[in-house]
Amino acid sequence: MTVAVAPPRRRMRLPAAWRRPLAIVGAAVIVIWVLIALLAPVLPLQDPLHQSSAVLASPSAGHLLGTDELGRDVLSRTLWGSQVSLPLAVVLVLASLVIGSVLGAVAGYIGGIVDEVIMRIADLVFAFPTIILAMVVAAALGPSLTNAVIALTFVNWPNYARVMRALVLGARGQEYVIAGRLLGSGPFTSLRRDVLPNVASPMLVLATLDFGNQILLLSGLSFLGLGAVPPTAEWGSMVGDGVQQFSSWWLATFPGLAIFSVVVGFNFLGDALRDALDPRTAGAVQGTTV
Amino acid sequence: MSRVPVRPAALGATALAAALVLAGCSAGGGSSNSSSGGPTKTLVVDNTFDLKTSDPARAFELTGSIVDKAIYETALTFQGDDTTKPLPQLATFKESSDNKVLTLTLNGKHAFSSGNPVTIDDIVWSYKRVQAIAGNPSFLLTDQSTGKNLDIAKTSSTTMTITDTNPNPALPFILPNPSLGVLDSKVLTKHGGTTTKSDGAEQYLNGHSAGSGPYALTSYSATTKVVFGPNPHYVGSKPTYGRVVLQNVTGPSQKIDVQGNQAQIATGLNAQQVQGIGSSLKVLKSTSPDVGYLWLNQNPTYGKGVTNNAAFVTAVRKGLNYQDILAVAGTGSSQPGGMVPSQFLGSIKPDATNTYDASAAKAALTKAGYKGQTVTLSYPTDATLSGVEFSTLAQKVQSQLEAVGVKVKLAGTPISTLLDAYRAGKLQAGIMYWGPDFPDPSDYTTFSPGEALGLRAGWAASMSPEVTKAKQAAEASTGTGRAAAYEAWQRAANQNGPFVPLLQPARYFVTASSVTDVKPNAVWTVDLAAIK
Repeated sequence: MTVAVAPPRRRMRLPAAWRRPLAIVGAAVIVIWVLIALLAPVLPLQDPLHQSSAVLASPSAGHLLGTDELGRDVLSRTLWGSQVSLPLAVVLVLASLVIGSVLGAVAGYIGGIVDEVIMRIADLVFAFPTIILAMVVAAALGPSLTNAVIALTFVNWPNYARVMRALVLGARGQEYVIAGRLLGSGPFTSLRRDVLPNVASPMLVLATLDFGNQILLLSGLSFLGLGAVPPTAEWGSMVGDGVQQFSSWWLATFPGLAIFSVVVGFNFLGDALRDALDPRTAGAVQGTTV
Repeated sequence: MSRVPVRPAALGATALAAALVLAGCSAGGGSSNSSSGGPTKTLVVDNTFDLKTSDPARAFELTGSIVDKAIYETALTFQGDDTTKPLPQLATFKESSDNKVLTLTLNGKHAFSSGNPVTIDDIVWSYKRVQAIAGNPSFLLTDQSTGKNLDIAKTSSTTMTITDTNPNPALPFILPNPSLGVLDSKVLTKHGGTTTKSDGAEQYLNGHSAGSGPYALTSYSATTKVVFGPNPHYVGSKPTYGRVVLQNVTGPSQKIDVQGNQAQIATGLNAQQVQGIGSSLKVLKSTSPDVGYLWLNQNPTYGKGVTNNAAFVTAVRKGLNYQDILAVAGTGSSQPGGMVPSQFLGSIKPDATNTYDASAAKAALTKAGYKGQTVTLSYPTDATLSGVEFSTLAQKVQSQLEAVGVKVKLAGTPISTLLDAYRAGKLQAGIMYWGPDFPDPSDYTTFSPGEALGLRAGWAASMSPEVTKAKQAAEASTGTGRAAAYEAWQRAANQNGPFVPLLQPARYFVTASSVTDVKPNAVWTVDLAAIK
């Protein structure tokens, strides 16, 4: 006789979470930036690489956000910059999520020497300040956006591995998992079918909250000349170029505001998602009225 | 209303994002306090340091020249910003008719900061030390073609000779270089100074003065600031400022410093940064002797059949809009016709080889058989050409070349990394600059086939015999014929060479209104002791 042991279900509370203003603002900001990134080629913008004779022109009707040291339109470059930062942040977070989750799940489920080796490597990465280690790796690989993503993935995966390991450690002792094993599931089948679906939500929340951080770090590397290569319109490198032209305040301010808005948007969105998917936090929020 | 959960990490990220926004609205760094009154007048000068050492025999950086000019006297010197006429300082000079022997005769009485008198032995000892250390400035006392050391000999208690195996009419223009500052040999020998390779006086010289210049070192840090006090035994006119602070400040912060009177002179501002500087400050504009140039590797291995094609080189020369490049570099920058800067003997005006002509460029590309291969253009990411970012120049060049049909990939790297590959002649193309070692056109014949700079661009000795012939004629020329000979060499190089002179940037000094007599000099940037 086959006994089916269904894993406990969780109720999605997303609609409740969305009702909060900051969540709506965060989602709106992200949606707007995603739309800008998708529609940049059809928007009535100047070529972000076109160099005009209006060098370092302050904001005007012709150039709403002014021009840079090569006469390029700052509005156009700021909006086109979303085509660089957002997709790369997605790639970066997904790469970290996949690598970290796999390693963390294996470490948590198998345990023993495998767990020790994986977590000591993670500890080694944690031992260095994130941005410093990323700078070292990026500098060693050479300045480019691809290398910046590799460098940040290298320093970021342990965050996911650590959380995933803790979740798997907690889940693998659950009755439904044990029952699955008793019914003949191998370790990887058990991990895939019984454990991972039940630890996915916290990882999703972590990834969402991480988007802002990764955009910031990516911009930081480009700011330091270790990411985007000229003439790519990338927010961090635009801020870096703007700092060299101190009196032209518009050069750094607008790409800086773009970074700021996206980071804040993802943080608001991540908080809302966490409240929707994490029962403990969601309960606390639901029960508290100010 | 729901409570908004606040995560420390999110807050931190938000704060970091805000900091990045504000990065463009604030500049780091600061400056020390200064004063212009009281018994000891203090002058604070902002400079972007490239300082490695203050030992003249080892220093060959711009900041090092400023420091050593203040501490050390040289046998010969220049007056103010005029580098066309060497003048006596510690010695008078006389050249032999064949320009092979230069005789120096001690010029009056001078004294080191220790009180010891300057003797002819000190000059001989200092020069031999420069040769023995074989540091960056050692080449100044070598034959320019053979690289062998010049013969330096004391001939009497007041005279000495410097002898070259070949005519060396540039020698009087070389001796004013602060790297040939004369040191107190009696003091130095007590602190490890020798005229051999094993000299160990650098550390002592980085904390103490051993010169006869107007100032002595009060404190020294190669990364933050150098402070000068008066040399009590200096025999010349007493400097106006009893204390000078030369501090390391980046360009944007220099502007804030000088506007806030935290510094009285800013030496590192570019054309954009001096705009709107304020009417209470003075802006001194001059043409920098540094030449920014583009090179195209002629070695087939690294040129990859593209940049080592003569017609392709012509296409690049014609495809560059030089006036547009000057517009990016700012008011006051100029286009040199050849590699010799406009203020030196033998410089030329731009000619047809260095004039923008898009249709001629496209025709040359067709002739070259160019099939859209990507050319990698290298440039330094952490150096500027008198405040002009190389990244900006590279992007401008990329844009212009792509407009005539050349695909360009930019490859910015730190200058230390770039120099390794450039010196090895392994880069396909790039943008670099050359600052004068001494104000004479003979310093620039290194941009010839088979010479050091020529080889960096894969320009082997056998490649352009007409340029080699013109170079040899220029080096052999003397007297009034020198200018024409060096002009002919540059025209030949423009016809056949891989070097494309792009610009001489403007150089700006911003000073407080009370400061006068700031004279930009091509060799030592600025003489701190002459400032009033």
